[in-house]
Formats: sequence, structure tokens, C-alpha cells
Amino acid sequence: MEEKNGLILDGATDLGPDTGRAGGFAAGVLRDRGWRVDRLALAEVEIAPCLGCFGCWVKTPGVCVIDDAGREVASQMIRSALLVFLTPLTFGGYSSELKKAIDRAIPNILPHFRLVRGEVHHRRRYPRAPRLLGVGVIERGPVDPDEEELLETLIHRNAINFHAPSDGSCVVARSDDDESAHRAIERAVGRVIGS
Amino acid sequence: MTEAGERVLLLVGSPKGLEKSNSARLGRLLLGELEKRGWKSEAIQLHESVRSEIGLPALFEAIDRAAVVVLASPLYVDSLPAPTIRAMERIAAHRVAAADAMRLPRLVTLINCGFLEARQNDTCQAILRRFAERARFEWAGGVSIGAAGPATKRTRRALDLLAESIDLELLIPNEVESMTRKPIMPPWLYVLGGNIMWKRWAAKNGAKERLRDRPYARTDR
Repeated sequence: MEEKNGLILDGATDLGPDTGRAGGFAAGVLRDRGWRVDRLALAEVEIAPCLGCFGCWVKTPGVCVIDDAGREVASQMIRSALLVFLTPLTFGGYSSELKKAIDRAIPNILPHFRLVRGEVHHRRRYPRAPRLLGVGVIERGPVDPDEEELLETLIHRNAINFHAPSDGSCVVARSDDDESAHRAIERAVGRVIGS
Repeated sequence: MTEAGERVLLLVGSPKGLEKSNSARLGRLLLGELEKRGWKSEAIQLHESVRSEIGLPALFEAIDRAAVVVLASPLYVDSLPAPTIRAMERIAAHRVAAADAMRLPRLVTLINCGFLEARQNDTCQAILRRFAERARFEWAGGVSIGAAGPATKRTRRALDLLAESIDLELLIPNEVESMTRKPIMPPWLYVLGGNIMWKRWAAKNGAKERLRDRPYARTDR
């Protein structure tokens, strides 16, 4: 039986928009469904940038060569059954704060290649990988459908690369009323973990 | 043809910097072709720009001087490395706040990924296109390269054509894309060769037997 532990990686930055309400809704929806949820405000966590050295694959397999909080976050990520990538929608993708944690999570997959539907990807290191939910936050609606689709695509590409068994996303605006924002997140959660 | 002495700025998004990275090497090949056509050039590593207080103002000023900005970066997990995104966030905030006085430089992006298929850069290129719109650049186009961006004869020819189109202020010809998107080998061979390379690399570090370790495995599931 799948463990129900979720980790919200909150990529809020000093440039905004604030992700607090969306994160609270995501946590609430998951708890209502019996999940334990941890939330990590990444701006408060010192994580050095990935060096691109591949040491985590060929020197210290499975562990980043940089000894800082990035190791602990990568460990928490792979031990979770669901990751929520909560981010100020940044050009349709992730904020730098969220991305600093994601970049440091590549020790959780193997360097070895395999073909997935004719495309080259890396093999899995662990037998189980977390599901992926993306929640993008913008300051003011309406949500641009192209950006919404871009986040969906990015999450789906990450799901392939991190071997996530399911994935989905939504974008909410800070100007949305509580009910609309909550409903959008609830629908996205349902798509990823089932209703 | 562009005005004599126009300036091109290379922004390198790799943590490996201006000397050692494939991104910088590809970017410099393009700059070399533009210099032959009379362009002046300068290069900045974005990781350095976001690391210091003086880095960002210098970056903003360099962008203001440029007629063309080339962003050359590796693909990191379907997007850009975190410090590169940080630089983009700050560039956009700065350029939106000071919009009236600014020229719109053209933005060309050169993205390389470690997978065989150049198309795996497409999501990243879509993000960069959004960045161009938000940060007040004129989107000139993105060039995607697979297989970690080897400077093959075909890639060099593509960069030459790209330089010509930048110089003549033309759209990037389809020929550039068809050259850079053509895989350099069959996928099965890339997988086979890549896996041999990883094992040899780990063996050099005495880590071959530990390649598949699971240091964060839970014992309760």
C-alpha cells in the first residue's frame, strides 16, 4: 500500500508573487485525503547550485558532492510519495528557488541511459519515485493558457526524467477568489493522486 | 547588414564558466563568426553575476550596450540551471522597471542537452521565449543541440549560418535547425556508448561497484 507522505517544495522568491495561500490550499486538500504533508520554504534553505560535475553519479553515487542542505532535501524528495512543486510561475516554468532544489535531486536517478518511447533518458535508482504535482502562482488572472500548458509540459517532462508514476499541474492567480483557487488545486491533486 | 561595430553579448548559463563549458565553447564559436563580420563581443557567466552585489549592475549595463544577446546554456532537468533562472528573474525585473529608456536587443538562445535528441530542449526554449517577451527582448530564435553539444562540422556550419542571419537581421533559416536537430548517431548506440562511458568514469574514481547504490533507500518500504 502506498504511503501517503507529501512534500511541498515552496519556491517563493523575493520578487513574488506570494505562494502562501496556494501552498496552504494544497496542504489542506492533501490532509483532507489522509496525507501527511511537510512544507519547505526553499528561500530559507541554503542550497548551493549544482556544479554540473556528475560527481553524484560517478564519484559518490547517489549523494551530491556538495555537503549542504541540498543532500537532505534530495533525501526527503525521494522518500516522499508526492512532491508538490509550488512556484511563482516564472516565464511559464519554475522559480530559481524551486529549481535550486530540483537541480540537486539528480543523484536520485542513475546515470545509465535507456530508451523511453524512442527517447534517451536516465534509468531509475530507486524502485519507487514520488508523484509530481506542479502548482504555479501568478499575481493577477486570467491565467494565460499557453503558460498553463507550458507548466504542464515541464512537469510531465520532469515526471519522465524522475520516473514519477503520475503528474499534473495547475496555475492559480493571487487575484482569484479563495473558492476558485481551492477548486483548481483540488482538481489538480485529484488528477495526480486519484480522487 | 548591421551597423559597423555593433555589439554582441554572450551570456553563459553553465556553472563551468567561460573557459571549460560546452555552452561557452558553442557561444564563442558563434561570437567568432560574428567578429569576422565586424561585431564587437563580450561574455559574462551568469552564475558569477548573481553571486555578487556588483555582478548584476554590470550585467544590466552589458545588456544595454548589446544589439544582440546570445544566451548559451546547458539543459538542467528540462529547464535552465537555477542561477541562470535567478539572473533571468533579475534581468526581467530590472528591464520592466526601467522600460522606457531601453532598446530591445535581439535574443538568440543556444541550448545543449546531454540526451541525444535536441528536441528535449524544446520546453526550455519555450520558457526562454516567454522570458524574452517579459524582459523586453526581441525574440530572434532558439537553437537546440543534443548529445552534450559537440562542435561537429555540421554544428560549426549551423553556427556560421546563424551568425550570417544575425548579421543580416534575418530570421534564423530552417537549415540551422535541420542541421542541429539531426541526431549524431542512432539512439541505441548513444545508450550503449553512454553506459560504457559512465562505468569507465566511475571506475576511474573507484566507484564502479557503487554506481547503483541507494543511499536514501527506506528500509520500511
